Amino acid sequence: MNSTYPVEIEQLAPPELREVKLPMGLLGFEQVKDYLLIANPEEEPFHWLQVKNNSALAFVVVDPFLVAPDYHPDIPQPEVEFLGLSRPEDALLYNIVTLHGADRATINLKGPLVFNRHTMIGKQVVIANASDYSIQHPLPQAEACAS
Amino acid sequence: MLILSRKSGESIVIDGRIVVKIVRVEGDVVKVGIQAPTELPVHRQEVYEEIQRNNQQALTRQKTPLPKLPSRGLAKTPPPPQPAQEPNCAASRAP
Repeated sequence: MNSTYPVEIEQLAPPELREVKLPMGLLGFEQVKDYLLIANPEEEPFHWLQVKNNSALAFVVVDPFLVAPDYHPDIPQPEVEFLGLSRPEDALLYNIVTLHGADRATINLKGPLVFNRHTMIGKQVVIANASDYSIQHPLPQAEACAS
Repeated sequence: MLILSRKSGESIVIDGRIVVKIVRVEGDVVKVGIQAPTELPVHRQEVYEEIQRNNQQALTRQKTPLPKLPSRGLAKTPPPPQPAQEPNCAASRAP
């Protein structure tokens, strides 16, 4: 398989991998810090955040702005400094998706994974306005639209 | 558990590098200021536990089939302040 990957993840040929680091782990998985971010074009807009040395363990993630247009996460200043974000554009957000059986999925809007897009170092951040958002916000469903 | 009495404005120092200050007491609400190195995560317990539970629930095996979303309802860029009037299901065929 060819492995020349352009820099922008959205434009990559399938399947596209990026190594990412979560130095603090995820909440509840503090010891696991190395992940692969995997994008398959046919699975867009979803990506996989897979534990680097264990292909069986993965999270489904999605760009929250694609599925929750009104989302305005307030990233606390210490997190901004920790990640070295000097401008809002430096941040790349992915939120964890929970699959509830075949036809229901939710997204955690309280605790996004915030990455510095230049270093791809990230952290699961509890946003300052977490109380405005649901931890299991329903994803829009294609089924509801199918005719 | 160590229990200390503090007045508003007084602090507790932990390990020489974490300062917990009672900022204000209003009825049954205590405002607490916490000064800690950035590598030490500080969370409200209930939010922390909620996210921890959700992460554990979200952990899955790769190759799980993913849900289909109405592509028409997806914005390609962070949306303008005014949310668009979506979704129009008729145009949801991806190219």
